Amino acid sequence: MNVFAGTASVDVEKLALHRGLDMTRFSNLLMKEKTVALPYEDPITFGVNAAKPLIDALSQEEKDRIEVVITCTESAFDFGKSMSTYFHSLLGLNRNCRLFELKNACYSGIAGLQTAINFILSGVSPGAKVLLIATDISRFMVEEGGEGLTEDWSFFEPSSGAGAVAALISEIPHVFQVDVGASGYYGYEVMDTCRPAPDKEAGDADLSLLSYLDCCEKAFLEYQKRVEGADLSATFGYLAMHTPFGGMVKGAHRNIMRKIAKAKPAEIEADFDRRVQPSLNYCQRVGNIMGASTLMAIASAIVHGDFGTSQRIGCFSYGSGCCSEFFSGVAGQDGQARLRAQNIKEHLDRRYELTMPEYDELLVTNNTVKFGTRNIVLDPDFIPQARTAHGKPTLFLKEIKEFHREYDWVS
Amino acid sequence: MDKQAIFALITKHAGEVIPRLETHDFQPSDSLRALGANSIDRSEIVMMTLEVMELDIPLSETIRAENIGELAALLHEKSVGLQA
Repeated sequence: MNVFAGTASVDVEKLALHRGLDMTRFSNLLMKEKTVALPYEDPITFGVNAAKPLIDALSQEEKDRIEVVITCTESAFDFGKSMSTYFHSLLGLNRNCRLFELKNACYSGIAGLQTAINFILSGVSPGAKVLLIATDISRFMVEEGGEGLTEDWSFFEPSSGAGAVAALISEIPHVFQVDVGASGYYGYEVMDTCRPAPDKEAGDADLSLLSYLDCCEKAFLEYQKRVEGADLSATFGYLAMHTPFGGMVKGAHRNIMRKIAKAKPAEIEADFDRRVQPSLNYCQRVGNIMGASTLMAIASAIVHGDFGTSQRIGCFSYGSGCCSEFFSGVAGQDGQARLRAQNIKEHLDRRYELTMPEYDELLVTNNTVKFGTRNIVLDPDFIPQARTAHGKPTLFLKEIKEFHREYDWVS
Repeated sequence: MDKQAIFALITKHAGEVIPRLETHDFQPSDSLRALGANSIDRSEIVMMTLEVMELDIPLSETIRAENIGELAALLHEKSVGLQA
């Protein structure tokens, strides 16, 4: 698997100061930086840039065994055509391939992962691989006028990021081996956060937080029912959870440790530092990447944890609306070495840090690539430092011609 | 537990989560949000209260309460409902 988190970022503390947010409570967020999608970046550029190193490492024969491409997203730019078709083309994959897209807010990545795993486990095409791309961007524009919008919505600007995680799912799991059938799922209809109109995000931060906390507990209890002997404190070396912002994970961890593991506050704090913090590292630097967030938390846990001996990771995904799942898998030293070889930290370090005036200008510029844009040529001179930030070929959106998106590699 | 005791519990936990509220003279019409508790603080206060009350209800059901008095009434109603 691999993470791609764009070419530009902002320092979240500077942004919060710039917006005049209450800094005394701001540390609750546990956020440091966030990725900002530039006008010539879209969910396709994020996804292709994440998947490219994985595909390039395959032999032609292996590459031809990719028989499914699943895109997991809430940032699609077309109601009908799936982004998997673009990924398939840009990555040069075999045409005997299923292409489709999945949506369920931030749960999409795990819905896709489980779909991929079930295809592999079904054994209908032995040796086949699935390319899973979870990719999401936030264009921060608040839907105005709803009374459900709380003041805490201001927490969402500093935390909403952009990024993609790509993973190859096959019979031979090198990085993370999912425990077959070890899943507790829990979902119900709730109007917490949503994207009710093109380029708009809306939500009730309170309700979303409470629903996340409820689901985390219920999904784990269902997991425990299905997995004999599962114990929240003892079974998992690490926990990786959907991370809208670190503070939310901290709250959910505290809740389940208190209610299910009956742990005391000091014990909970130490457990958080030991078992949860490794999974938060990337998210603290990228922000909430929605459908890709749980996968990025898993990657972060594997890179930053101690896998001298193989460890089981307890994973929790929550998508507004809502659906959630607690599941688990095992990672070891070899998987860690493979993931570390992707140099994700270096990738994050190389992003261009936007100044506040540049960032504010971007919010206006964002308006130029609205949902439904029919024709546009993107300006390559806008924040040019970002385009070469990675020192290697990076895919960018070049133009939209009669709704068709055209890309080019820039180095 | 009666409504008054639940109110006292909520305000005690509010003081623990936000220390500057320890000496605040709480009124039922006080809103935790207006007193500076953000969504994480508020969820924490509710969770602590439910734990002491040994009340197991979905947290999202507490969202309707607009102030501490309403929250105490809602939790009281739930606890009586579950006992019945």
